[in-house]
Amino acid sequence: MPRRDDIKKILIIGSGPIVIGQACEFDYSGTQACKALREHGYQVVLVNSNPATIMTDPQTADRTYVEPITPESVAKVIRKERPDALLPNMGGQTALNCAVALAKSGVLEECGVEVIGCDIESIRTGEDRELFAQAMRDIGLEVARSGTAHTLDECERIADQIGYPVVVRPAFTLGGAGGGMAYTHDDLVRIAREGLALSANSEVLVEQSLEGWKKIEMEVMRDSAGNGIVVCSIENLDPMGVHTGDSITVAPCQTLSDREMQRLRDYSLAVLERVGVACGGSNVQFAVNPSDGRVIVIEMNPRVSRSSALASKATGFPIAKEAALLSVGYTLDEITNDITQATPACFEPSIDYCVVKIPRFAFEKFEGTDTTLTTRMKAVGEVMAMGATFEEALQKALRSLERGHAGLGADGNDDFDEEHFEQRVATPTPERILYVAEALRRGWGVGRVHELTHIDPWFLSRIADIVAAEGSIRRLGLSGLDHDHMLAAKQMGFSDAQIAWLTGSREDVVRAVREVVGVRPLVKTVDTCAGEFAARTSYHYLAYERGDATEFRQADKPRVVILSAGPNRIGQGIEFDYCCVHAAYALEAKGYETVMVNCNPETVSTDYDTSDRLYFEPLTFEDVMNVIEVERPVGVIVTLGGQTPINLAGRLRDAGVPIMGTQPDAIDLAEDRDRFASLLDRLGVAYPPSSTAETVKDARAVARRVGYPLIVRPSYVLGGRGMAIVYDDEGLAKYMSAATRVSPDHPVYLDSFLEDAIELDVDALCDGSECYVGSVLEHIEECGVHSGDSACCWPPFSLSDAIVGRIRDITRRLALACHIKGLLNIQFAVRDEQVFVIELNPRASRTVPFSSKATGVPLARMAARIMAGETIADLCLPPEDREVDYYAVKEAVMPWSRFPGADVTVGPEMKSTGEVMGIDTTFPKAYAKTREAISYRIPMEGTVFVSVCDADKRSIAPVALSLSNLGYDLVATPGTAKTLRAAGIPCQVVRPIREGRPNVLDMMTAGQIAFMINTPKGGSTRGDGILIRSAAVNRGIDMATTMSGATALIQAIAALRKGPLDVYALQDL
Amino acid sequence: MNLLVNTEGCREALIALEDGTVLRGRGFGAPGEAFGEIVFNTSMVGYQEIVTDPSYAGQIVTFTYPQLGNYGITSTDAQSERPRLRGVVAHDVCRTPSNWQCVQSLPDYIAQSGVVGIEDVDTRALTLRIREAGAMRAAISTVDLDPKSLLSRVRSSAGIGDHNYVADVSCDGPRVVHARGEERHHVVAYDCGMKEGIVEHLAQAGCEVTVVPWDTPAEDALALHPDGVFFSNGPGDPTSVPHVPDAVRTVLGKLPVFGICLGNQMIALAAGGSIQKLPYGHHGGNEPVMNLLTGRVEVTAQNHNYGVVFPSLGRLVPELSGGVAEHPADGDLRAWSRARIAPVVRNERYGRIRLTHVNLNDGTPEGLQFLDVPAFAVQYHPEARPGPNDSAYLFESFARLMDGRDDYLAIDVREGRCR
Repeated sequence: MPRRDDIKKILIIGSGPIVIGQACEFDYSGTQACKALREHGYQVVLVNSNPATIMTDPQTADRTYVEPITPESVAKVIRKERPDALLPNMGGQTALNCAVALAKSGVLEECGVEVIGCDIESIRTGEDRELFAQAMRDIGLEVARSGTAHTLDECERIADQIGYPVVVRPAFTLGGAGGGMAYTHDDLVRIAREGLALSANSEVLVEQSLEGWKKIEMEVMRDSAGNGIVVCSIENLDPMGVHTGDSITVAPCQTLSDREMQRLRDYSLAVLERVGVACGGSNVQFAVNPSDGRVIVIEMNPRVSRSSALASKATGFPIAKEAALLSVGYTLDEITNDITQATPACFEPSIDYCVVKIPRFAFEKFEGTDTTLTTRMKAVGEVMAMGATFEEALQKALRSLERGHAGLGADGNDDFDEEHFEQRVATPTPERILYVAEALRRGWGVGRVHELTHIDPWFLSRIADIVAAEGSIRRLGLSGLDHDHMLAAKQMGFSDAQIAWLTGSREDVVRAVREVVGVRPLVKTVDTCAGEFAARTSYHYLAYERGDATEFRQADKPRVVILSAGPNRIGQGIEFDYCCVHAAYALEAKGYETVMVNCNPETVSTDYDTSDRLYFEPLTFEDVMNVIEVERPVGVIVTLGGQTPINLAGRLRDAGVPIMGTQPDAIDLAEDRDRFASLLDRLGVAYPPSSTAETVKDARAVARRVGYPLIVRPSYVLGGRGMAIVYDDEGLAKYMSAATRVSPDHPVYLDSFLEDAIELDVDALCDGSECYVGSVLEHIEECGVHSGDSACCWPPFSLSDAIVGRIRDITRRLALACHIKGLLNIQFAVRDEQVFVIELNPRASRTVPFSSKATGVPLARMAARIMAGETIADLCLPPEDREVDYYAVKEAVMPWSRFPGADVTVGPEMKSTGEVMGIDTTFPKAYAKTREAISYRIPMEGTVFVSVCDADKRSIAPVALSLSNLGYDLVATPGTAKTLRAAGIPCQVVRPIREGRPNVLDMMTAGQIAFMINTPKGGSTRGDGILIRSAAVNRGIDMATTMSGATALIQAIAALRKGPLDVYALQDL
Repeated sequence: MNLLVNTEGCREALIALEDGTVLRGRGFGAPGEAFGEIVFNTSMVGYQEIVTDPSYAGQIVTFTYPQLGNYGITSTDAQSERPRLRGVVAHDVCRTPSNWQCVQSLPDYIAQSGVVGIEDVDTRALTLRIREAGAMRAAISTVDLDPKSLLSRVRSSAGIGDHNYVADVSCDGPRVVHARGEERHHVVAYDCGMKEGIVEHLAQAGCEVTVVPWDTPAEDALALHPDGVFFSNGPGDPTSVPHVPDAVRTVLGKLPVFGICLGNQMIALAAGGSIQKLPYGHHGGNEPVMNLLTGRVEVTAQNHNYGVVFPSLGRLVPELSGGVAEHPADGDLRAWSRARIAPVVRNERYGRIRLTHVNLNDGTPEGLQFLDVPAFAVQYHPEARPGPNDSAYLFESFARLMDGRDDYLAIDVREGRCR
């Protein structure tokens, strides 16, 4: 079938901010789609509110709108751009929901926009569980027994019919948000109530539990001619009951026979046909009964998904790219397989290695929340590893996670909860895999562990093999590991660090011995076809094999290795991957052969198209050195991938590896508090009084000297991990005892906390002799809120030119003094016209993508050019102090709804998962866009609940007055009400929760609260506040938890009152 | 099995290839030696079907998926009563399989049948060697561990074309398999090494099947008064298989005929066509084949080292071939799939023969349809086992041909995917 020429301009909707359940995999798919369609001559218009994405780079699409993904806002883009078609299946559930709403509103019809890639009806059939169940019955497939409910009563009735346990799933939510398994009536009431509240149409499904069944996913593609292929099968290691995004998964499927696999293949293709996926990629999930092979269809997603990104990386088959081409009329047989460039895409990849994906969680950031994994996704990122065997891939994946494990335990870092050991084996949690291994180590046997976990005995037997091999290594000792046994250990995936621990040696000694006995990994290639055809791309992994058959190819060009950021986590996410991708583009253009190393399957950096060579490997010293020894690069870039590569910099330097750009010495200078403080002293730059301490006693002494409040944190961490503000000795002692667990090798930093200061982020470039300040970002929230959780604005909206000038000057002096070559980020605090330096990061920061998009200067790309030897003068950058006629605002996106029980409050430890950007002519308008982009509906009328802590009582009056003038009714707790009445602002008093009912919770339940302003008292996490804020999150009630946030919100409301906002393309700024 | 997990009963083993490649590994299955032609198979599952597929007689199979035997051996998936290949090459073989249907582990099964295996081999490296040097003579040995010696013995061993393997794997006498459900037709099936999956599919399509030995005289077959005759897959070099092309010749024109794999080649030979050896053959479950009559692509299971040379069957009939008079000069039949034309040649013996299926990976012919006598054949395996079921419709096609329908090949792949 020929490509369609009646379509010229295509609108692609992205997935918005990174949230749990919808992360940067959609940047990967959207970027692929944009590239593929433009290569084939189509014009692409893009809408996405997430500035940290490659897809929103002005070069990726023809017209880029960093605007909220709401039907209203996208409709404006449609009216302005008049696209011929809308491709909604690249941007996850967000884009699909938006497309459905646009269709419903009639905008698509009115503007003659055709939906391509999928149709609205098929989205409905795929998403609406009742329609889907009927569709499956039509083709003779079994679905779990279930019923749809809109009330608690209905839920109870259905559960009684089916029998407990039942699974509760809300309709139209992300990643199963709000779902869960109910074993009892009480569970049901709790989960169903939450689910009904979260569902867009107050609908939940109550269904038969399939606990213990295997969960198998099929990644399927179909073209408009009816050709269908299965790209990859994926088996969940955790049986049914754990969300696939939270489960360890394995590709290809390991425990099904050909007959069973082919049946699932037939079923998946039939499901696509029946649901009506005209063309594109879909994910079909099955439950398979391990005792008789019975198959039940769980769900299908008529779009590219997290699993399709994983399948693409696992096989080398670019699902999103092909899906985009299929949507414009190509058929699978007309598309060439990128990897072989000789065979068509109409085939099913065969892989000759095993792939393991392990999710990464962030429970430690949300104290009070249950770590049990359920049908509701909670992972914030994932890693993928490849090996010749499951064992090798599993251990590589575990060390890729950067959770302090060098593999499947056996590294001296095990710390088991002996009291609840059996329960910890039985319950799915992020650590369960380690408990399973330990149970086998303790001789429990595969049978007993299977009884407890329902994990397939095949996986357990492989883990038992790893544990057995551990014993052999221990027995043999390092001297007993001759070539064959050392090779066998490495084939089992053991890291040098594990072997060192098992043999009582050191990692570097193991490495040296390994060299001596001649055991080195070989370069293998991901080629989609298990070697049947020659691969034309350099997508590699390393594996240990007998012999010396490496697939390493020499290159004429000098090679540069770029170390990316590993798994997404709170504090280190897509922003760093973005920087690495830019470096790859810039260095390729400069004539280098670029070599990317990363283990995160969701990213653009792990697209084989992004760099010349890709190594899908863990970012540990051992694994990175293996790549470096093979590739022998002229330089390695460590300053763009966040803290992960920075932490390797010193060891790489010591191993004689050439580091490009800022040298490890300079990194030490900036990160060593004492050295940095003396530098600041020498330069005469002010900083908050600070010191370090290793014991509680030391810390108390520091506190006496510096004074409370103190901001305390462990050294060498990112995202404010373990960071807190302490107000007294008691808090300090509590913190010190907990902090030793965070980072035992390093002391704790104690800084005087500058209350009420304005915080700023500066991103700058330096070439060693000249510095260019790319952006000065003014935070909305005052000091004390982690910069990653704070909203910020460029250009600064409240600072004088003189202050900004001083900040630029200090930045310049510090950059030069630290010998930065590349990017740096400095955080400043301004109080009473005084400028303090809080910290300097000698690397790319989280704000680089936002700064680049706001200012139009691609900072990461420029940094790479500097590292390759260019000077600032060569880069032809616009003046730092140029005037612009717009404001760009970044706002953080918080994952509260995923972590019930955790306090909904921002502080010095970062908790946000993503960010959005809004651009408009004024700060309030731009800020309003960010609120809309996070899908906080700003209620334009109604009642506002106000309750602020004592410190904020003085500043609440003007805010409340504005609200009152805007026509809102106010409700306040007695303390706050007293302040408001004193200021002459009318308000209703509501009872605090502990003083009986009706109280504010009742008002919220009754839907009487439009939004709320609730600032928590510093240091305290108990009391009414936590309950009120949790309730607000559960009910989707918007709130401001800082006074500065409240002020910005009110400005935004005032701006919105003046009329609808315009949309702007980046290309027009 | 990793050396650190269990070294009990571990034997050193060697694999030597004619091109001089010698790899060290460890033996599994039976001890001893196996000489044969080395090929690789890229199916990720279905090792039991492959091991028991009689078409692999005389061959040593390298499995590209590195962990073999995960779900063990079942009682329902064997394609013949015992392993038929010479040897198995694997990266890592599973001793502790898991599946509800599992009755035995793969290494035990192999050992029981006296088949020699070698594991802990870099199977990807080996596959790349075979891809570059082609299918060639090879040996696995747990006895002769001297690389030079084994290599020289490989180089003096017999080639696969020196022996008629069909005679080794065919049945000894006729047997009858009843139709599943209503019996629509009676078919005589020439067993040149027929997979059980084919018999199953024929039976499922309503055929009572009389399976007969490969060298059954055509007259004897006709005397059974079948509605159609089937020629099966089988091992080895088709040109070293006597009798069968004669049987085809006798039957063609008299009764509807269907051939699979070797059967396809036998039919082509009967029509005076020629056969070529492919560099390293097609062995896997992911080969894209276009049905030129429907334009639909089937993902197919394949297992052959030899193929029909389509132009050798005759000159093109331009008016039936989109006006094209000359065969593509480079022999790449994807010219036809791109143009969505099913070209027709005029054959001296049987009249018009149409190319119905083309392999989209390398442009080799995959299916033929005789227009003037009732016969068709495919080079690939519609019965799968292992592999996708996309092409299972061809058994229904055969039934429709026996019903006398002209449009018997135009069946949508999607029919019957879910019942």
